[in-house]
Amino acid sequence: MRVAFLSAIGLSILSPCLPASASAATVTIAVRQPDGSPLIDGVVMIESAAAPRALPHGPYVMEQKQIAFQPHVLVVPVGAQVMFPNRDTVRHHVYSFSKAKRFDLKLYGREDQRSVTFDTAGVVALGCNIHDGMTGFIVVSATPLYARTDAQGRVSIPDVPAGPVTLRLWSPSIRAPGNTLAQSATVPAAGYGTTLTIRR
Amino acid sequence: MRLRVPRFQTLRGRLAVLYTGMFAAALTVLAVTAQVMIWTHARSSVTAELAASASVYDGLWALRAKTLTGTADVLAHDFGFRTAVGSGDRATIESALATLRARAGVESAMLVEPDGHVIGADHVLAPVVTRLPDRMRGTRRDAVVVSRDRLYRVVVSPVMAPMQIGSVVLALPLDGAEMRGLERLSAIPLTATMLYRDGRGIWQAADGSVPPGSEVDALVDGARTDRRLAMLTLPDGRAFAIAKPLAGPDGRADAALLIRYPLQAAMAPYLPLQLGLALAGLIGFALMVIGSLRLALTITRPLHALDAAARALEEGARTEVAVDGDDEIGRLAQSFNRMSRGIVERERRIAHLAFHDTLTGLPNRASFRHALQQALARTARTSEQVAVLCLDLDGFKGVNDTLGHPVGDALLCSIGELLSRLAPDALVSRLGGDEFAIILAGRLDPDRPRGLAQAILDAAAVPVAAAGHRIATGVSIGIALSPVDAADPDQLLKNADLALYRAKKDGRGVFRFFEEALDIAARKRRQLELDLREALVTGQFRLNFQPIYSLKADRVGGFEALLRWNHPTRGEVSPVEFIPVAEDTGLILGIGEWVMHEACREAAGWPDHVRIAINVSPLQFRSNGFLAVILQALARSGLPPARLEIEITESVFLDGKDHVLAMLHQLRAMGVRVALDDFGTGYSSLSYLRSFPFDKIKIDRSFVTDIAADAGSAAIVCAIVDLAVALHMETTAEGVEDDEQLTRLRDQGCDSVQGYLLSRPVEAEAIAHLLPARLVRAA
Repeated sequence: MRVAFLSAIGLSILSPCLPASASAATVTIAVRQPDGSPLIDGVVMIESAAAPRALPHGPYVMEQKQIAFQPHVLVVPVGAQVMFPNRDTVRHHVYSFSKAKRFDLKLYGREDQRSVTFDTAGVVALGCNIHDGMTGFIVVSATPLYARTDAQGRVSIPDVPAGPVTLRLWSPSIRAPGNTLAQSATVPAAGYGTTLTIRR
Repeated sequence: MRLRVPRFQTLRGRLAVLYTGMFAAALTVLAVTAQVMIWTHARSSVTAELAASASVYDGLWALRAKTLTGTADVLAHDFGFRTAVGSGDRATIESALATLRARAGVESAMLVEPDGHVIGADHVLAPVVTRLPDRMRGTRRDAVVVSRDRLYRVVVSPVMAPMQIGSVVLALPLDGAEMRGLERLSAIPLTATMLYRDGRGIWQAADGSVPPGSEVDALVDGARTDRRLAMLTLPDGRAFAIAKPLAGPDGRADAALLIRYPLQAAMAPYLPLQLGLALAGLIGFALMVIGSLRLALTITRPLHALDAAARALEEGARTEVAVDGDDEIGRLAQSFNRMSRGIVERERRIAHLAFHDTLTGLPNRASFRHALQQALARTARTSEQVAVLCLDLDGFKGVNDTLGHPVGDALLCSIGELLSRLAPDALVSRLGGDEFAIILAGRLDPDRPRGLAQAILDAAAVPVAAAGHRIATGVSIGIALSPVDAADPDQLLKNADLALYRAKKDGRGVFRFFEEALDIAARKRRQLELDLREALVTGQFRLNFQPIYSLKADRVGGFEALLRWNHPTRGEVSPVEFIPVAEDTGLILGIGEWVMHEACREAAGWPDHVRIAINVSPLQFRSNGFLAVILQALARSGLPPARLEIEITESVFLDGKDHVLAMLHQLRAMGVRVALDDFGTGYSSLSYLRSFPFDKIKIDRSFVTDIAADAGSAAIVCAIVDLAVALHMETTAEGVEDDEQLTRLRDQGCDSVQGYLLSRPVEAEAIAHLLPARLVRAA
């Protein structure tokens, strides 16, 4: 996997519509990789001054299943407590050296209950000290307006307040500081749809 | 340009140089071939060795990379270390790196953080290492980097948590110690040197041992695609070299390992072989020089001998060369010897032919003269005598004519043998024809020449057997003595010849000694001969005419032409004196022809009854052109043939009768009269008269002079006249000087007379006065 020389990406707004009032709208975004294929497990977060604080609703679960983190990417609001149930017969030693949350869940098995509370926004890279191949991410979002791209690389975020917003896109494959790209936009009341393409 | 080939004076030198040169060329080719093979072998050996070393180095290089990477990985995977990195605990990181250095035995162990910050590096490495993780592409973990002219080998191991949070970097200086370590791994003493590419792209040696240059650049650049052996010229001599490019962080080679092996060292094992070859070549060359000189000598020594022999032969010496061997030279020598023998034999034969007579085998005239000269030379020193006997066969021409030349030749041979037998103490030689000569020399018995001459005459008196015939031949001998008669050979021989001449004159079958008078007579005779030739050319001759008086017709019936010679200084010369000379020399032919013409011309003017009588010598009569001369004279003068009377003597019959008779008949057929002159003297063979019907017989004056006083003479004259009458021939009496003689002749019936009684011979102008003359009958 290449680490350097990824160009900054631009988000192009394809069909901007001016909002008629200060009501909420749904933002639909399709994300494409440079080769045109849909970006899966990307996280789109919309920051808006008009948006309320994010509140955890739970429960949030990051399973260790078949020597892998399941899901690969989990998006949680700030303050969320995430459970790390071990579904395998082997033990795992899950850790993170990320600034957003450093923790170290020493060897535990199926019978053990482990959970970690993420109270700082940011991206937490998960690893297993026993299984080098296990990687996973927990994106801790300060805004409640977030979504993970589906198999078609699409997200649909409802209840976005019309008006200026900042769109943030995170994916481990994005070569940028914090693996994140940002784009300003104005969301009209009628709703907002766009396609974002990662440029190399 | 033409190559000048050096010239050699000797075949030996040429052969030696040719053989030696060819051998030297062969040696040179051999030496070059050996050197090329040695070179090729050394090169392939070194190539194999270097290639082996290079592959060993490759293996070691890879092994070292694996070891180093493993070491780096151990730290990069350590959870505690990762924790320290993840938490940015620098103190812990540095202590961990220090532990790694000590444990792995590496000089430098560093951590490069994602933002490029380097922990644990010195100032030399830091600038290079900071970007190293970014520059490493793909799965490469190993690279060679250059920093401030120093080379390092680096390995990179990423620190994953699980995303990369940094890189552990181990660096190993590629310095002299590392190179020596590599060199020790090889079986042959190789030298390993690190090269790096400087800012201008030129390859430099890290330790400066290899000067930069195109040679090195080409070698290293070429090694990327094809690792091959090259020859480098270095300060310490030429060396085989092979290069191994070492990849940098981004895959491009900025460094290379150069392994080299000095040419001197590569060639060193072959030095004994080369020395051995050179020594063997020198010994072979020396042997070749000696051998070719010897070979050339064996060829040229016989040639020298032949050369010397040929020179000797050229100077006339009889030489042969020793023959050894059956090769070409031997055969040449044999041929030379045969040729030499042949030349000598031919010379001997030629000399024999030059000095000997081929018919009799006796010495010839040249040999005789030479021997005589030598004998006379001896005589001059001593008081000895030399006698020369000249011999001539009497009537040899008759033998040749009647019996043929083969018989004549056989006769000559028999005579030669006879002479040799009779004169064993003398040199017998044949001078030519039927002429022989004998030299008697040394301490002579004074009577020996006479004795020998007599012995020869006695022996020759007996008929000699020749070619089945017994031939009776006589010999005449003339003898001259030295120093009494002459001192020089020519004069002596001439005097002997004169004596021989005298002997022949004196009736043949005798010998005569030379006398002084003979010589004087010979000189006079010689002078007379010269004068005769002159006379014939300048017209000193003239004719006188003596009348012949016909007693029956009582008038002058004819004239006899008589030759007169008025010599410019001597006056009138008698025919008795000059006619024999003219006959001996053959001048009589020319003179006779003149007489014939002149007489006929004169007679043509006379009355018809007057004849002209002309004397013809036997030589003239026998000559081939005689009839033609007569016809010509008659035709030119217009004289009728019947008025011409030819007078011959019976001596014409001496050389054979048949031919003479044929000639006489031819004259008769022409109408010319023929008279027999001087009848009664000489042989007076009556058979001649029977053989040919002469028109006239002339009675010799010796009978006529005494006819009155001597009864015998009168009887002879009577008999002759009677004989003539019986044979129907006329008679003329010569030398009638008085009336008594005339009366007697007239009484005996003689037809005509001639003599002073009537008239002496007169000049042509006086003839007219004589024609009417009458002889008065005496009372």
